[in-house]
Amino acid sequence: MTPDLVDLLEDSGLTGRGGAGFGTAVKVRAAVSAGATLIVNGCDGEYGAVKDGYVVAHHLDELVHGANLLGRNGIRYAAHRGSRTESLLRAAGLDVLSVPQRYVSSEESALVSLANGGLARPMTKRVPVVFGSTAPDGRSLPPTVVLNAETVWRVAQIADRGPAWFRSFGTADEPGPRLASVSGAVLAPGVVETAAGVGVGDVISAAGGAARSPGGVGLGGLSGGWLSPAEADGAVWSRAALAAYGFTPGPGTVHVLGEDECPLQHVSTVLDQAAGESAGQCGPCMFGVPAAAEDFALLAAARLDQGGWHRLRERLGLLPGRGARRFPDGVAGYARSSLRAFADEVDAHLAGGCSVTYASRRAHAVAV
Amino acid sequence: MPSPSDTKAAPALVVDRIACTGHGICASLLTDEVTLDEWGYPVVHTSAVDPELGDVAVRLCPARALAWTARP
Repeated sequence: MTPDLVDLLEDSGLTGRGGAGFGTAVKVRAAVSAGATLIVNGCDGEYGAVKDGYVVAHHLDELVHGANLLGRNGIRYAAHRGSRTESLLRAAGLDVLSVPQRYVSSEESALVSLANGGLARPMTKRVPVVFGSTAPDGRSLPPTVVLNAETVWRVAQIADRGPAWFRSFGTADEPGPRLASVSGAVLAPGVVETAAGVGVGDVISAAGGAARSPGGVGLGGLSGGWLSPAEADGAVWSRAALAAYGFTPGPGTVHVLGEDECPLQHVSTVLDQAAGESAGQCGPCMFGVPAAAEDFALLAAARLDQGGWHRLRERLGLLPGRGARRFPDGVAGYARSSLRAFADEVDAHLAGGCSVTYASRRAHAVAV
Repeated sequence: MPSPSDTKAAPALVVDRIACTGHGICASLLTDEVTLDEWGYPVVHTSAVDPELGDVAVRLCPARALAWTARP
């Protein structure tokens, strides 16, 4: 790790590709001063994300090169246990941190805990983990810097091609090429290479285009939110533009719903899954998310009464800021954004119907 | 990125959500500033808490889940 590299990263404006979008140069500079070990996060922890696996499968040499530039105090590669990514990393002879399949397991402090013999559960962070952390049993854990696999790959590219090349992609505020994972009703689902500032429609086109008339677009997975088809039509894919909707592109996941899918039923299924993802540590997450998911299931089944509707909104408003690692914030924001984007559909469901006939039948069958 | 010594912000009372087990002592002491949700976990409505009363709440929390972000 040379000071020169930090300058290159500063000039390039690279930000973390794991979703939070924090400046990589700042993080790496802190890691250098603290003598931190490096964890390359290849978990694709966000719902719908497959890009870290793509980087490992297609750009492993550059990924390892980037990691070697950054990690002079030890490097581990985190991947979900049993994933193809894990076996590819092992086959390359790399030191793999095998991570259990759970939403919060690949969160930064959960990885640090796991890497030091603890459970893969988020820890209370009083200071950033790059300065060291404290395990639940009181042990001091060494300074650790966790960088997303795509971020580390970009570091290698910047070292090789320079900041000017990097800045020739994207916008001035959100420079550089970036990967998107596109799923759902598109003709060629998978990873596409794009950049901030393009249209959401352009990202969908890069994945072969919508397979049928879209019924809504979800961005940023469980920590992100939803756009209605009309909103998605003109929306720009960037943190700056999506801020108006209250979320970010996150780690670049894009999920396209077909017009034949009930969006509320889809969101309900996702929330049910989220309700089972809690690490069992925080009350709001253990109790609040399942409670909200239950009400949402009733809404999707067009069986939520006015009292339930009030309760659901109250719970979604109560949750923000109340869970360690912001997991409930993410879930609450995700659910709230679906209520906004699909307001017409919400009204139809509160009136006892669903304008997507197929989904209505299915929702009814589930509810009965 | 804030460094460990960067504690210039006004002290606020914060709940460590991982440590909190919902005893509710904080809400009994700080009746205006803290209420309990339907599962008995605290909702802190304002960071402007009387320092002396806040100190008592911090000291009496059985889960040691209540803390000042900086010393008042």
